[in-house]
Amino acid sequence: MTWSRGKDYYLLNIRIKHNNFSYDYFSLNNPHKLVIDISLHDEKNSKEDKILKGKEVLRKEEPRKEFPSRSSREIKTVVIDPGHGGLEIGAKGKFGTAEKDITLDISFKLKAIIERNLAFRVVMTREKDIDISLDNRTAIANNNRADLFISVHANSSYRKEASGPETFFLSQKATDEEARRLAYLENNSAELEEGIDRENEEEIQMILWDMAQASYLRQSSQLAESIQKELNLLLGTTDRGIKQAPFKVLAGVACPAVLVEVAFLSNADEEKKLGTEEFQSNVAQAVFQGLVNYLKLHSQE
Amino acid sequence: METKRVLILGVLFILLVVLVVLFFRSGGEERIKPSAGVVSPELESLSKKPGETRKIVLFFPSEEDSLLHKEEREMLADASLVQEAKQTIEELLNGSKNGYLSPFPPETKLRELFVTKEGVAYVDFSREIQEKHLSGSSSEMATVFSIVNSLAYNFNSVKKVFILIDGGEKETLGGHISLLRPFLPQYDLVAK
Repeated sequence: MTWSRGKDYYLLNIRIKHNNFSYDYFSLNNPHKLVIDISLHDEKNSKEDKILKGKEVLRKEEPRKEFPSRSSREIKTVVIDPGHGGLEIGAKGKFGTAEKDITLDISFKLKAIIERNLAFRVVMTREKDIDISLDNRTAIANNNRADLFISVHANSSYRKEASGPETFFLSQKATDEEARRLAYLENNSAELEEGIDRENEEEIQMILWDMAQASYLRQSSQLAESIQKELNLLLGTTDRGIKQAPFKVLAGVACPAVLVEVAFLSNADEEKKLGTEEFQSNVAQAVFQGLVNYLKLHSQE
Repeated sequence: METKRVLILGVLFILLVVLVVLFFRSGGEERIKPSAGVVSPELESLSKKPGETRKIVLFFPSEEDSLLHKEEREMLADASLVQEAKQTIEELLNGSKNGYLSPFPPETKLRELFVTKEGVAYVDFSREIQEKHLSGSSSEMATVFSIVNSLAYNFNSVKKVFILIDGGEKETLGGHISLLRPFLPQYDLVAK
């Protein structure tokens, strides 16, 4: 921590060897005092935030560049992840439409709508037709301190008739799955001779810890629900509901995160639609509206 | 007074040494603990005679909805869990007899299968399962859970399933569902 004197101000410089922190400050009179609370967020143990306090006599507020104001901190960052790219084509329709192209087109449209309507920073995990690993997509989200993460995809199914948008969020706690599995086995399988088995419970807890997404599942499900509702409404599709699945790209994201499958490339009619500007814009608009509704829901809480 | 102080210091020092020794020794023991071994075969104490058949249930996707559907099969019973599990996967790869869909590229072969003593079945498929996969959230879910459910449902000692491709761990089948963790079966994807 250093301080220097400018023409009509003192400049306080605090270096923090931590990229995940937040701060708050207020000034007191008599004597003049500036109190800065810096909370370092340990991912696994946020309760034990270390609080550093500094005080300094001030004549004038610090230049904004050095100390971003609180309101600017509230500007949110949305990370949009256009699925696939480069050699990794993703799903392919029978007329040759590649998932990687559709996802990029829709993501650009979504980015434009968000930027036009909200004071949000929008970051895309790719803006070109390039290969990006799933881990890197997650890293881009976390390094940009994403407040919301939306991965855009186009679906495919073995069923030729499968159609309609689907919004996914990460599978719920493995422990729930385990409980469900046991309940199902008890009701349906004549094979169950042993009692209830809990030996894997500890391991499951370990698995949960390295999934950053685990603590955002509730918000992620609300975001998914909100987006799915708008997709159904705008596209007049039958409700496929929100779903949970163990998506690689969502598991490590440290904010509410969803994966939107906008339509099925394996369905000939939907493949044709997916290639049109109109359909792509409608989808982007619907996802945006879902996002807005989610934000409204959260500003009320 | 002097001697008393020396005595106390001495006792404290010995205590410290003992604690340090205990600390390192207990740590060492933990490190020595064997890692999850690939034991396996005869976990399931099967008292079946050769020639006997057993009923198994396979899980296939269908054209009518996005759920998995049960299909019963009779297959030759085997004294070995691994052999029976392999047969189950082979049956699954051969496809449905009731007109359900196959969630596998037709060239897919089973390379190897083993079960750890912790109850994790490792199923190794040929590379076609990935290279020729449809790639899509729904199709990957169908492939993964037809495998996982078919093993876990029929074999009580299979708690989880880990899918390998061409002898190694792979991230996903086509960019969606993570294969880097063993799967628990998911019966909410099954038609009632």
